[in-house]
Amino acid sequence: MSDNGRPGPKRPVTFKVFRYKPGDTDPPRYDEFKVDVDPRMTVLDALEDIRTSQDATLLYRHSCHHASCGTCAMKANGREILSCVTNVLELGTDTVVVEPLGVLPLVADLTVDMTSFADHFEPAGMTLLRKSEFNPKAERPASVQDYARYENCIECGACISACPITNTDPQFMGPADLAALYRALVKGDDLPEKLYALADCEHGAWRCHTAMECTAACPSDVDPGGLLMALRRRVTGYKIKRLFGLKV
Amino acid sequence: MAEKFHVLVIGGGSTGAALVHDLALRGLRVTLVERGELTSGTAGRHHGLLHSGGRYAVQDQESARECIEENMILRRIAPDSFEENDGLFVAITDEDVAYRGAFVRGCAECGIPTREFSAAQTLRMEPYLNPLVKLAVQVPDATLDCWRLPMRFFATAKHNGADIRPYTEVVDILKRDRTVIGVRVKSHVNGQVYDIGADLVVNATGVWAEKISEMAGVRVPVRPSPGVMVAVRGRWCNMVINRLAPPGDGDIVVPQRALSVIGTTEWYTDDPDRLGLPEDHVQKMFEKCGEMLPVVRTAPLRAAWSAARPLIGDETVAGGRELSRTFKCYDHKERDGVEGIVTISGGKGTTMRGMAELTANVVCQKLGVHAPCRTRETVLLPYGAYYQ
Amino acid sequence: MTGIPIQHEPLGRRALRAWFDPRGRGVGLIGFAFNRISGLALFVYLFLHLMVLSTLTMGTGAWESFLQLARSPFFIVLDASLMAAVIYHGLNGVRATLVGLGLLTSKHKAMFWVVIVASALLWAYAVYLMLFVF
Repeated sequence: MSDNGRPGPKRPVTFKVFRYKPGDTDPPRYDEFKVDVDPRMTVLDALEDIRTSQDATLLYRHSCHHASCGTCAMKANGREILSCVTNVLELGTDTVVVEPLGVLPLVADLTVDMTSFADHFEPAGMTLLRKSEFNPKAERPASVQDYARYENCIECGACISACPITNTDPQFMGPADLAALYRALVKGDDLPEKLYALADCEHGAWRCHTAMECTAACPSDVDPGGLLMALRRRVTGYKIKRLFGLKV
Repeated sequence: MAEKFHVLVIGGGSTGAALVHDLALRGLRVTLVERGELTSGTAGRHHGLLHSGGRYAVQDQESARECIEENMILRRIAPDSFEENDGLFVAITDEDVAYRGAFVRGCAECGIPTREFSAAQTLRMEPYLNPLVKLAVQVPDATLDCWRLPMRFFATAKHNGADIRPYTEVVDILKRDRTVIGVRVKSHVNGQVYDIGADLVVNATGVWAEKISEMAGVRVPVRPSPGVMVAVRGRWCNMVINRLAPPGDGDIVVPQRALSVIGTTEWYTDDPDRLGLPEDHVQKMFEKCGEMLPVVRTAPLRAAWSAARPLIGDETVAGGRELSRTFKCYDHKERDGVEGIVTISGGKGTTMRGMAELTANVVCQKLGVHAPCRTRETVLLPYGAYYQ
Repeated sequence: MTGIPIQHEPLGRRALRAWFDPRGRGVGLIGFAFNRISGLALFVYLFLHLMVLSTLTMGTGAWESFLQLARSPFFIVLDASLMAAVIYHGLNGVRATLVGLGLLTSKHKAMFWVVIVASALLWAYAVYLMLFVF
């Protein structure tokens, strides 16, 4: 979203929205909705407008409205976005095509099923909190030993959708999970052997072909591609140390 | 014996989440229906403050006590779910300084631990604060994740047998004479319309409570009161920053990951589905919160949105922030002569578990089930368990 | 926009779309896609090359007639394309190796353009050599 711009006149934008209801709107189609968009509106605002004024059956996920929960990830004009922070007019087109994320199984319309995502993510060690790097030299009150903050990754699935490998290898752990694996190893809470085994397996860190679309799609500065490469180095170091009987 | 009763909860917000968890633990059969994604109402999009109750310690002590009690319980039952960094109430003007006495006394009366810091100490802890800050009072605020915390309740409830049905919208409430016997729902997944029978229906729809209550022919005194929030890029504080003053516009900054959420304002509406985003409210956030943290005035905007508080209030009562933030469970048999339905209303995100306990007690009493509440001690499953 | 739910596409179509459809994607995918295409081309070329070399076993006559063919314009074009594939695949391969080891990963976009420019220059030189020197 642009900086504190003031709202101006509304502009009509046509939304071509992917519709799919298994057994009902099947095969899928694209419905067109016209919305008068003001300069502050996000894609999510537009979808809410469509749902409340034009079609109450439109199904999409949303929760926090400020890029913290990851539930509103979808595709606009072919690119993975978080609909709650994507300004409609800044997309620059008179028609906006709205589609669900790729790869993840479809539930209906713009809603995908996050079960398979969680299935991969959970064994990777779901690190939710870490030490805050903000102002490390600031004085602390006595009650706080270390300031904590939530990890950047909001598990939105954008990287999974953008990756060319997840599209064709359903067993590939995927950038989100491998990045989480790396964070878990760095944090050091979990059994490292289990995590290294996951990273080193056939569908782990070596399956990546460095397209780096994951990092490009990530709305949260996680850099899953970069973390995946760091994971490779770490796994390599681990295996070499193990080979020579050194302490890992 | 409890499992022969079926309770249907309408509304998948934080209250619904804690409620299905409580009812499932008591052995009842429970189904929850939510028209959108879970927490897609008010629960998902508030600041994410785990309230210490400080803001209510002077004018709304009932609510303040509820907050601090639930704050401590949530830390216990949902460990590793919060940025437990505490909060500060900062005094910028002389008026703020004058408020300090009442504030500290109020906190003490409500059981909220406080500690005071001088201007110099405060600036050493939070260097981005307005350099004119005069003093600060520390309280046990924390940051919560609005999606992931309720999901821990849903995950635990699901694993204890609760049937959670998102994307399922109630289109009618079914009655036989003056008794509610179930609901008619439409699935937004496949468009099917079907009925769900229940021994008791709980209306936990927050600001949509009136929409549901009308279907049942009952009244609930809910006044949706929206407010604007803005998220700017940059984490400019580690502790939650509040204004040491009576509750007002733009008096809080909550760090959320790499963002700072600044808020909020308040107005009234009859339509919880179309809150709008008043531009002057957005600008006011920058201005007022900028009095505490000047840097937010020029930080890039990430998101601006509205969310509506469910305030309990009759039409006769005026004033917004004067309405209590406490919560009540209405048995419609008493209020409207309609059996089989209760409404839980009011409250704050932080008091979700307490609201659920109260409601579950009413539910069990109405059904004649003797099962104590166990949610104060039961540690919740991780949120990812919902998908397994 | 064909009406098949994206997730239910047959695997072959999914692969083609996921690997080669640039809409909504960036240079990372372009680099990856070109590497696949050039890699496939080189693979096919390997077989052709071996088949061609096997004509040597059939006597000078067979070899000579091949060399004649190799001078035809059609073949020059094929050879030029082959050179492009070899040069790009080699240079991008170096880029992919660096990125894949975590070296200069954050600069992968800039490195792609370096590869493109270097490939273009080397290819121009190779074509010049092919046409005017050999």
